[in-house]
Amino acid sequence: MTMRSLWLTTLCALAAGGLFGFFVHSGTLLSLLTQALIYAVLAVGVGLLLRQNGMVSFGHALFFGVSGYGVGILMQANLMPAELAIALTLAGVALAAFLVGLVIVRVPGVSFGMLTLAIGQMFYLTASRSRGLTGGADGMNIDWPARLFGVPIAQLLKPGAMFVLCWSALVVVLFLLALLLRGRFGSVTEAVRDNEERARFIGILTLMPRALVFALSAFVSALAGVLSALNTGFVSPEALHWSVSGVALMMAVVGGYKVLWGPALGAVVYFLAKDALGDHATHWMAIFGVALITVIVFSPAGIAGALGRLARGGPGRAGR
Amino acid sequence: MLTINLFNGLVYGALLFVMCSGLALIYGLRRVVNFAHGSLYMLGAYLGYSIAGYANFWLALVLAPAVMAVLGVLLDRYGFRLLQKRDPLSVVLVTFGLLLVIEDFVQTVWGKSNLALAAPPALGGALDLWGTPVPVYRIAVIAIGALVALGLMFWLRWSRAGLYVRAASTDPETTAMQGVNTDMLSAAVVGLGTALAGLAGVVAAPFLSLSPSMSGDVIIDSFVVVVVGGLGSLAGAFVAAMVLGMLQALGAVYLPDVAALLPFMLMVVVLVWRPSGFAGSRT
Repeated sequence: MTMRSLWLTTLCALAAGGLFGFFVHSGTLLSLLTQALIYAVLAVGVGLLLRQNGMVSFGHALFFGVSGYGVGILMQANLMPAELAIALTLAGVALAAFLVGLVIVRVPGVSFGMLTLAIGQMFYLTASRSRGLTGGADGMNIDWPARLFGVPIAQLLKPGAMFVLCWSALVVVLFLLALLLRGRFGSVTEAVRDNEERARFIGILTLMPRALVFALSAFVSALAGVLSALNTGFVSPEALHWSVSGVALMMAVVGGYKVLWGPALGAVVYFLAKDALGDHATHWMAIFGVALITVIVFSPAGIAGALGRLARGGPGRAGR
Repeated sequence: MLTINLFNGLVYGALLFVMCSGLALIYGLRRVVNFAHGSLYMLGAYLGYSIAGYANFWLALVLAPAVMAVLGVLLDRYGFRLLQKRDPLSVVLVTFGLLLVIEDFVQTVWGKSNLALAAPPALGGALDLWGTPVPVYRIAVIAIGALVALGLMFWLRWSRAGLYVRAASTDPETTAMQGVNTDMLSAAVVGLGTALAGLAGVVAAPFLSLSPSMSGDVIIDSFVVVVVGGLGSLAGAFVAAMVLGMLQALGAVYLPDVAALLPFMLMVVVLVWRPSGFAGSRT
């Protein structure tokens, strides 16, 4: 994609989202899509790590939940305005992830996934057992102030406005990531992902870029956590549970993590499918489990990959 | 007080070892970390519950692992074998999909409420151990753990099949060139590993209750064990399972606030110190 078409696509996407939020008045549809978009941002975070580092995280719910708790606790303490609390939480999560990343991205292959799972679960257990600060298993309410970034909170929480906000957040995140990965940073991380040893031979520092990608992916997931806290006004240990990480990973893989927007597509498809299943939705685990296996076995590039093949007009050979 | 805690640690350690020996065996031959292992354990437990309802506990102890063994062989033949050329992470994701399917199956068939399976009358009651009464059933759990450990050790050390398994874990291609049918071998080993998960489930059922969340609790502890012990190493898994069992049991009494975090702290510390675990991995 050229620079010009990237800008153009982004602006069109923003405008389309605005129009959609303005003209669609069905509250249920808008709130369903809002939820899908929040998970889309989370899945983009998971997919980014998979795409640029080749690492599977089973623990991104950690960043998703912790950012909600961070904002909630900072505002409960009444130390600072809500805007600053949000900024501080996002920066804090990214910094912490960077420091932790320096240690854990060195753990090879599958062990990395198991390690992220364990760290995530550690926070889940802590949050559900400590009564005081986090409200234990019941979760905590987040008291948003009357105005956020100068906008009355009641306006912001209307389904249409919330949809436009989450949509814009997703589009801007994707735009910034695309812009960043076009440059040297993108090539360096891809070189390290494909062959760390060779990348080191040609003089690339291999640890730093991987830790940065980890931090970036944590930041994106944390942003999703803040959006979710804004949307529901509530955060509970469920947001930290490994099943959230698992679902996000599934969205990223089914959507197709080889392109940046694939995971977002996966998230939207997931929510629409869950809605369309209606009464059968109690069996969503089996249905999406089968879907996950099918995609990995027959179309490793996911839905986005299949769409890409269709767009190129070829008959599209299934398989590897 | 200390006796009963050490004893409970030993019981949980034995159970974890039975679980993890299956994980380690499968990893050794197929280089697959089976995320569905905890769900297979849960499936084994619920199967045991149903069989014990129709007949008795002893039959469940034999039949449930046997059914699981068949499932394991099928899993290897139609899963791992077809995917062996794929990169390990996508196989992990396939087992994750399988986990979701099994969880749903169990919830659909047996419901979401907690179920209880009584220990057989022969193993009821309590024994006196240095002045502390301990349930006989838990002694039996330790005995089963010890039997599995000894059985696997003798089998791997001194039988021809065990020799093949060790060879194939080290280098599957060369082993196949020497005329060993590694596909058959893998099917047998994955079957055995799955049967061990089922056995752990049936054994756990009378003293941990049956619930849809039972897989999540045990799989995370098992991952800690296999990662800390070194992926694919049975001896490492044995040591790590015992350490973790003790840590859990003693931590719950002496450090109740952080007891839940101890296993993870152990894992993080060991991995930062030695990324491939106590015993190192054979990859």
